[in-house]
Amino acid sequence: MTRPSVPTRTHGLTRAALPLEAIAARVTAHFPNVTTDQAYGELTLHVAPDELVALLTFCRDDEELDTALLSDLSGVHWPAGDHVIERQASTTGWPEYRVSREQGVIEVLYILRSLSRNHWFRVSAATPDEAPRVPSVTGVFETANFHEREVYDFFGVEFEGHPNLTRILMPDDWIGHPHRKDYPLGGVDIAYKNDKYIPPPHERDLREVID
Amino acid sequence: MAIDPGTDAELSDDALELFVEGADWESVVDAVEDDHITVNMGPQHPSTHGVLRMVLDLDGETVTRLTPIIGYLHTGIEKNAEVRTWVQGTTFFTRMDYLAPLFNETAFCLGVEKLLGIEVPERAQAVRVILMEFNRIASHLVWLATGGMELGSTTMMVFGFREREHVLDLFESQSGLRMNHAYIRPGGLAQDVTDDFVERCEALLELLPRKIAEYEDLLKRNPIWNDRLRGIGPLDADTATRYGVTGPLLRAAGVPFDLRKAQPYSGYEQYEFDVPTETAADSYARFLLRIEEMRQSMRIIRQALDTLPGGPVMVADKHIAWPSQQSLGVDGIGNDPEYIRHIMGESMEALINHFKLTTQGFTVPAGQVYVPVESPRGELGYAITSIGTNKPYRVHVREPSFVNLQAADVMARGQMVADVVVVVASLDPVMGGVDR
Repeated sequence: MTRPSVPTRTHGLTRAALPLEAIAARVTAHFPNVTTDQAYGELTLHVAPDELVALLTFCRDDEELDTALLSDLSGVHWPAGDHVIERQASTTGWPEYRVSREQGVIEVLYILRSLSRNHWFRVSAATPDEAPRVPSVTGVFETANFHEREVYDFFGVEFEGHPNLTRILMPDDWIGHPHRKDYPLGGVDIAYKNDKYIPPPHERDLREVID
Repeated sequence: MAIDPGTDAELSDDALELFVEGADWESVVDAVEDDHITVNMGPQHPSTHGVLRMVLDLDGETVTRLTPIIGYLHTGIEKNAEVRTWVQGTTFFTRMDYLAPLFNETAFCLGVEKLLGIEVPERAQAVRVILMEFNRIASHLVWLATGGMELGSTTMMVFGFREREHVLDLFESQSGLRMNHAYIRPGGLAQDVTDDFVERCEALLELLPRKIAEYEDLLKRNPIWNDRLRGIGPLDADTATRYGVTGPLLRAAGVPFDLRKAQPYSGYEQYEFDVPTETAADSYARFLLRIEEMRQSMRIIRQALDTLPGGPVMVADKHIAWPSQQSLGVDGIGNDPEYIRHIMGESMEALINHFKLTTQGFTVPAGQVYVPVESPRGELGYAITSIGTNKPYRVHVREPSFVNLQAADVMARGQMVADVVVVVASLDPVMGGVDR
């Protein structure tokens, strides 16, 4: 495996954290196609998969951002269709959730952290859920290796350029990707006594989860 | 010695396969033409901290590659949580890293509280800190015990587990369980601490420093301990960062990164403590560091006990608050006569609320948060996604054991086979956390 070149660093918290606005401004100055949003005091950068490796390399090597650590890499599946949650909106006063998607997506989320400046932010790369493909960032951060295998295992995302993209937590011969919302819950037939198959209980109905 | 196709260990088609049982190693030595052999270690092996399997490529007795193979303990906790309410989530996540259950509970609850936008009462925060720091000590004691055992020091094993049991007694007295407590809930604690809580903590604070000094005396200048640990499993700061390694391993490489200082949560900013670092970046440095971390934990507990505030341990909002006023009744926990009288005899609304809260739970606003805490093994992060229902849409856990395990390869390369045991021990992986 080729070792990515990382500039020599001084270790420890040496500088003050950049405000989220400054991070967003610095990134969008170099990557005009990146959109940003802030919620719950957290910054998210939305990037197209083809710009992902360039963006992460920039964040790692940039003097100002200096995000030497890829803290986390995970996925979330947002299937196509209308999703409206208005349950209990009258009692809690929280806005209802209303999202409609023509194309289901899998969002691959990267948490980048700076050890010298003590700031962190999230990078989100969305890919269609029918043939999810995202370039591998193992060449930028070696720690992405296990994480990407996990996201492949759970969501079926093909990380292009990954040195060894195989299942990591599920058995090697498993069929399907269990964290996708279209994965049937209770879909594994279990033969009970006298070869009886008992359907999964109502609570495991997928519509309960995504409806 | 066959290798699964799912691993990145390569075995060429014409490679010689030998099955070895018992003491017939001579036949292997005779059969091997060059010195390169591939050996399987685990998943059932006394020194792999659970069901961890490693494939070792060896050149003679030197490791040229270590491939960790995981997943034997995968229980689908993240998936399971998607069909449980937010409060039920804690009972699942507490079982991930079973040596640090309170960290899992706290991190998950901090995430839920961030989405809810609620502030936990000060007393609950202080109790969380006290219990987490005791948990850190208990976890490091297990590390010391199992690490000692793997190097043949069964004395250390008995000592470590003996003192850990005292800490677990404290947890049992407060939560009812030695492990997997589900004691920390979104909004605060499942119930207030008992009247003798401070007294119990004081007794531990009196006992533990003496015992930890004893372990240090036993091991620090022990020639075998030194020979087996010094210079073994080196991992410098740059490599550690590239592999995402955090926690004691990163601090033993000289990087003073500790989330309790960097991003204080649960009121850690009020307490005075140091972030110990070492520069040697080997297994011995990690031993010294963990010993010092236990001392710093006790410093934090001391201050938290001295300033332990009174008041409630659960948020006031009855839509969220688990009924934490329950107490030990004549027939067991949860039967506070006052509370039972209130919901059964006085207020129909209170009964409805209790029923709704305990069956369908509360809803959490839509959004995405990432909340990390400093667990005994490093950055334990919860990436929680909600779409406004009473169940999480997706919870992903950034488990430090899972991430750190990747570095086993670079740490073991060039070392002897016997040192693999030390490398894995100094990583301190918990397979419940790795496989989730």
